[in-house]
Amino acid sequence: MNIWNRFKERMQGRKRKEQETSNEGKNSLDKNLLVNINHLKQDLGDSSDLVIRHFEMGGEPLIKTAAIYISGLVNEKNVNEFVSGALKVEASIEKMTQESSVVNSFDFIKGHAHSVEKVTVVSEWDKLLLAVLSGYTVILVDGYDEAITGDTKGGETRGVNEPSTQLIIRGPKVAFTESIGTNVALIRRYLKSPDLRFETMQVGSISKTDVAVMYMKGIASEKVLREIKTRLNKIEVDDIIDSGYIEQYIQDTSLTLFPTIYNTERPDSVVGNLMEGRIAIIVDGTPFVLVAPALFIQFFQTPSDYYQNFVISSFLRLLRVISFTISLLTPSLYIALTTFHPQMIPTPLLVSLAAQQEGVPFPLFMEVLLMEFTFEIIREAGLRMPRAVGQAVSIVGGLVLGQAAVQAGIVSATTIIVVALTGIASFAVPSYNIAVAPRILRFSLMIIAGSFGLYGVLMALFILIAHMSSLRSLGIPYLSPFAPFIWSDIKDSIIRQPLWSMNSRPRLINQQNVQRQAKSQKPVPSDPADSYSKNEKGD
Amino acid sequence: MEKAKISGWQLFVLMLLFELGTAIVINPGLGAKKDAWLTVLLGMIIGLLLFVVYFVLYRLYPDLSLIGYGKKILGKYAGTVLGVLYLFYFLYIAVRDLRDFGELLTASTYIYTPIFVINTIMILSVAFVLWHGLEVLARTGEFFFVILMMVGVVGTTLVLGSGQIDINQLRPILENGWKPVLSILPLTATFPFGEIIVFTMLLPYLNQPRLCLRAGLSAMSFGGILLTWVVAMDIAVLGIYVASRSAFPLLSAIGLIDMAGLFQRLDVAVVLTLIIGGFFKIAIFFYAALVSATELFKVKKYTSLIFPLSIVVLLSSMSVASNSVDHIKKGVELVPYYIHLPFQVGIPFILLAIALIRRHIKSN
Repeated sequence: MNIWNRFKERMQGRKRKEQETSNEGKNSLDKNLLVNINHLKQDLGDSSDLVIRHFEMGGEPLIKTAAIYISGLVNEKNVNEFVSGALKVEASIEKMTQESSVVNSFDFIKGHAHSVEKVTVVSEWDKLLLAVLSGYTVILVDGYDEAITGDTKGGETRGVNEPSTQLIIRGPKVAFTESIGTNVALIRRYLKSPDLRFETMQVGSISKTDVAVMYMKGIASEKVLREIKTRLNKIEVDDIIDSGYIEQYIQDTSLTLFPTIYNTERPDSVVGNLMEGRIAIIVDGTPFVLVAPALFIQFFQTPSDYYQNFVISSFLRLLRVISFTISLLTPSLYIALTTFHPQMIPTPLLVSLAAQQEGVPFPLFMEVLLMEFTFEIIREAGLRMPRAVGQAVSIVGGLVLGQAAVQAGIVSATTIIVVALTGIASFAVPSYNIAVAPRILRFSLMIIAGSFGLYGVLMALFILIAHMSSLRSLGIPYLSPFAPFIWSDIKDSIIRQPLWSMNSRPRLINQQNVQRQAKSQKPVPSDPADSYSKNEKGD
Repeated sequence: MEKAKISGWQLFVLMLLFELGTAIVINPGLGAKKDAWLTVLLGMIIGLLLFVVYFVLYRLYPDLSLIGYGKKILGKYAGTVLGVLYLFYFLYIAVRDLRDFGELLTASTYIYTPIFVINTIMILSVAFVLWHGLEVLARTGEFFFVILMMVGVVGTTLVLGSGQIDINQLRPILENGWKPVLSILPLTATFPFGEIIVFTMLLPYLNQPRLCLRAGLSAMSFGGILLTWVVAMDIAVLGIYVASRSAFPLLSAIGLIDMAGLFQRLDVAVVLTLIIGGFFKIAIFFYAALVSATELFKVKKYTSLIFPLSIVVLLSSMSVASNSVDHIKKGVELVPYYIHLPFQVGIPFILLAIALIRRHIKSN
């Protein structure tokens, strides 16, 4: 015990000493300009993209200054404005020499450095380094152990384009970009409200990635917000490259195939979710914005559902859920029915199935399993192919594997139809990350169907449904509003009621500020028939 | 106790699934011949009265389960003995239901599959769901309730549309007087209606206690009316001679549907119903047994008991009867009179009487 305590004390002492030395040796600036510059060069490994521009200003004595930035990260125009505003103040040099001595030339420069945003004074090395590395321009003045930084971020970024993954027929055609500033602005343009808040934090001890939590104050639940912030603060990793990193660190459980956090590259989708009381997490460097809490049914909804007739939207949503079920169950049901319960297939169909099966050398189970596997290979191969090669893949996949396999008598035509139906159905699900789940589950279901028939499939479904209803997204049950059943939230789930009838926001997601719109907004024309008849009378 | 909460709607759904359970496929009360539907209906009324008794007990001790207030009412030792008895009762009925289910499935579709395999898969799924807790069981119930209702609506429409129903098969009512009806009544009153006593173990988890009576009575009446309808439909379609000899009248009745050569061989829908209902019936009895054991033996988490008790239930389901005939014979001749009646009617009435007398004495 004693030895242990002594050891601990010694370790703590060493740690303290280390901190002290780092504080003294590193973390404050020197008064000498050249020492500072050399220090900076040394810290950045004499990197060639580090630009140091020296200036001399004032009369007697000469004030030596330097502007420092990294060439690729800044907007050169902003840098020039910043530097010329602050340092090349020719006209006022006389004024300066008249009014002031060398003592407050730093304040004088700072006073003129207002041509860019976020002008601050730093006196610590790590802050200075971070500023330089995130695209700020730093001005050092000889004789002062402080530096002036100005936001001159810029450099090459992608412009705002149409969305590439979440295409819709009708609605805004704008998608997020890799720049967090642009993304926040895209959202702000939709909601001109002071209640739209966003709080930025930096995640990643090396990458220092900007992560913004965006929400509507007064609509979003404080509890969920606090939970998200604590989860974000808990992340201690070196780098965050994509919002997918954040998603995996903050989701409720990772032991599931189902996504519990929604991601989108469409600002209109984020805005809709914010107005329902959800919280958006925007990560610098990726166009995919996270939205939480997310429900299962949310992955079957697209923004354009709200832009068109409610009957059409309801039908399409129903269609997507059915496609999901088809892509999950068709192969296993096919196997179960044909191998275990042929008496449940109508006789003519059964005869035709049996005739096809006649020349095929494999048992049906193996046949379906092989074809499904082949389809997955074709799909994965086609995904990342250059466009020219992609066509070849689809020809080989479609013609050779499909047509030829049947003609060669290796698989039956029905199997091809089942596999094709499964594949097409899984493309009808709008969200990629939920469409992946049935692709994987399908195989286990097929094996169960091949061993235990329909009963096995149904039992597997029990387990699947139980698993899904045990999931939570930031505390919200994943399968709501179906299980637990919430009548008031059914209006915008698998169906969508007319907009005028959706008066309340989702109940589970926010308890405060439930009213979304004025009641009784059903469009009622001011009785044209009546006025028409009146006119007639008048005539 | 688990930290779960279920809503009034979830209680309704669980009760309804429980009532329909296996009873929708094995029709209770076909012994009363053409008046089977009447015995079911009367059984439901008796069941409703029983539920009121359980409800009054629940209102007296809203935070306690049957085991809990048994101890309160009878004292520590007698209460514990009673608790152990109920633990065995719940376990035994879970075992019987599992065996029932296995027998039904092997007889209807899985002729070559050993019953042990079927029971193993069933108990594994039940254990998985219960491992996630009561809330997940309730949510799973809500999901499958919708499926069951859809199957029911489609099936009923098709039966009505197929023109197989001959209402004359049900007439004359009370052909042999009230005697056969009343002699079968204990059977239909206890199975499935009286079995609702298992919910005394679940009621403390209800988050809106004022909805308890409404949820319970409506679930039981709705379930009872559905069962009555199904029995009446079976007889009207098959005729009493075929219906009473058939092992699964519903399966035979639905099998007769043939609409335009398109909607036929809908037996799969019946098997689906059977699996869903059987699952929830076994799960609820098993859960009640788990909770009882947890309370009696002061185990911290009931999840630690799931695995051992699953094995007990599975193996007992194999050894509870030597064969199918033996199993059914016990279920019709012994269980209702010597097991169901005392546990569903006798003990609760005694408990209620003692509780009320104690209360009376206390207030005086």
